[in-house]
Amino acid sequence: MTPLFALLFDQLDDRLRLRRPGRAVANKVFPHHWSFLLGEVALFSLIVLVATGIFLTLFYRPSTEPVIYTGSNPLYVGTSMPAAFESILRMSEDVPGALLIRRIHRGASHLFLAATVLHMLRILLTGAFRKPRELNYHLGIVLLTLAIAEGFLGYSLPYDSLAGTGIRIAYSEVLSFPFVGDRLAFWIFGGEFPTGDVIPRFFAFHVLVVPGIIIGTVSLHLLLLVRQKHTQFPRTGIDGHRMIVGKPLWPAQFAESATLMLWTAGLLTLAAVFIPWSDVALLGPYVPAEVGNNAQPDWFMFWLEGVLRMIPALEWDLPGLTISGPFIAGVVLPGLVFGALIAYPFIERRVYHLSGEWHVLQNPLDIPLRAAYAIGTFSFVLIASAAATNDQLSRLTGIPIETATWGFRIASMFVPPVLAFLLYRYSKGRLRRRGLAVASSEQEADSRFHEPASEQQPVT
Amino acid sequence: MSSPTRPARPEPEPATTPAEELLVLSERTPPPSQANDALVAGTAIASAVFAVVFAVALLLEAPLPVYGIALALAMLLLAVAVRRYFTDRFPDVEAAEPRLHLDEGDDAPIADVEPVGRRPFLTRILIGAGAVLGLSFAAPVSSLGPSPGNALRTTAWQRGLRVVDGDGEPLRPDDIPVGGVATAWPNGAVGDEPSSLVVLRLSGQPQPPTDLDWVVDGSVVAYSKVCTHAGCPVALYRERDSALFCPCHQSTFDANRGAVPTFGPAARALPQLPLGVDADGYLVALGDFESQVGPAFG
Repeated sequence: MTPLFALLFDQLDDRLRLRRPGRAVANKVFPHHWSFLLGEVALFSLIVLVATGIFLTLFYRPSTEPVIYTGSNPLYVGTSMPAAFESILRMSEDVPGALLIRRIHRGASHLFLAATVLHMLRILLTGAFRKPRELNYHLGIVLLTLAIAEGFLGYSLPYDSLAGTGIRIAYSEVLSFPFVGDRLAFWIFGGEFPTGDVIPRFFAFHVLVVPGIIIGTVSLHLLLLVRQKHTQFPRTGIDGHRMIVGKPLWPAQFAESATLMLWTAGLLTLAAVFIPWSDVALLGPYVPAEVGNNAQPDWFMFWLEGVLRMIPALEWDLPGLTISGPFIAGVVLPGLVFGALIAYPFIERRVYHLSGEWHVLQNPLDIPLRAAYAIGTFSFVLIASAAATNDQLSRLTGIPIETATWGFRIASMFVPPVLAFLLYRYSKGRLRRRGLAVASSEQEADSRFHEPASEQQPVT
Repeated sequence: MSSPTRPARPEPEPATTPAEELLVLSERTPPPSQANDALVAGTAIASAVFAVVFAVALLLEAPLPVYGIALALAMLLLAVAVRRYFTDRFPDVEAAEPRLHLDEGDDAPIADVEPVGRRPFLTRILIGAGAVLGLSFAAPVSSLGPSPGNALRTTAWQRGLRVVDGDGEPLRPDDIPVGGVATAWPNGAVGDEPSSLVVLRLSGQPQPPTDLDWVVDGSVVAYSKVCTHAGCPVALYRERDSALFCPCHQSTFDANRGAVPTFGPAARALPQLPLGVDADGYLVALGDFESQVGPAFG
């Protein structure tokens, strides 16, 4: 330490007694595996999002009031457009650096969602959600939900033609709730769409409410991680149930995380130079009753959009309420997918009579139910996402849109259960060939892992 | 951590307890390498240079790729410098840490001051009052929007209201060529999305369930432009099979037959506007839509 740092540290240490807690932090052990970095990438994307987002709020105007554009884009000079879209055009074309920062913000939002989803897949497949970590797993699902909502709000704010269409569909989704739909929609959107309240409210939620909850939840997520410590992959000669093995926070993990933060920010910046995502000039502002072909949401909404496209014509008028296709496609079905994610840890524990705490990660093929559930859910989400491209697919291949849609309807109904069944049979057979059933405690799973090296004494 | 249940220890605490000491399993000390030192210095200096280029280029309002690439390089080079700095300056240590087994927790009370006597009734009343107060905080939610009332069942269309285009110009039947389609609005309510209209001149013979009394010239009809599935504008028209098509979710309606849905997720026909011609030969509404416009609700 340079004398200045040493002096500063001594002064702080005199007042806070930092050495012992500091040492405990520095010596915290981090297991080493690339998949453990996915959550870190999500965290670093969040930091980039907050930093770039603060800059953008200084220029964005949350209003749909018509204003005359006087900026430097020749396409729109002198035309009337919503103030929100005008402010986006103006900052992108006339504020040095703002377009780069907007693109980094957009790229970081994609990376945040992608890293969150992959991180969740890792947790789900390897069993990091098992007791005692169920609560942290559930906080992760809350974070995924918030990230999707935050992404949708951000997609809406420029109030370009795609954004307006997206808001219109969201409004219809809220309307579709039985009994309370119209009341709820008028509360959220300030009246019958489109109202002047939508964009100011979306703005407040996008920059204040949702990020606030996300940052709070992430903090809690990390606090629980520190309290419960990491899971880890099994390793010969290590009793992973009693011991966690890895590299200390200082210096190894610090170096890795600092490097990863710089890589994340650097690659997002490089991508922002070359990929014009978030450039809305050519989309044009939202105009009521107009929508173009290829109207599509962001990729993380594709599965919801795909289900909206695949759902057959349904509308049941019951006394006092209506159940409609959009309600089933946009509310019930996503509710079931997320409900299953939430319930899964408890289902697995009950089905296999699992006991005790679990700290060592597993191959999902060792737990047939988990393998089947994961492939069923994710193949459905992937097929539904692909269904959101049925119009482009039809245009590219010449397949009639009706045929393409029927193809996706049939695939989404049959492929996930068939894949789940096949994988269930396969992983069950795989266990049986070794004369095993699903291990019901970590000690049992561990003894199997250590069998080949039984002479070795586990570190205790 | 000391707990208030235990008396303060008379002897001073040891500098470290075993739990805080790193339990080292293996340690590999990197050999000194001048090449690595040069790499660290080179990348760090290059990073600083690119950071300056970024700042100056931005100040001089250079094109985006110039300062963008400079900023990216500054960060990526610093990443390399940090990585190389740490690999060479510290031994590569692998360590172990005992797990905290949470199910083997201690049974110490969470607080040491216990209540005097039991008054569960009072406790419940207190919690209940707090919950009621909390719930009452939701009341301002009702101010967030007007009561829907009949708003979703009606539009701006009224008997005698002229049909106008996006510029507010009234439309005559002749303004729509055969096979043509126009987006139209009630006079005075251009841009009122729930009242938006597609006006078409059909090339075929309109058939029931089209209301033939509301067909002008034997071929001009007007339907609500709001899709009955999820409310997108039904923006596309294919003359070949008189199909109105919603680009959002591909709901398809047959304009020749009362705009009944023929494919896709929409379950209800697009409502037909009672359409007529006024004394001056302009298209007018004979009344509001007779069925609900747009997606289902409640």
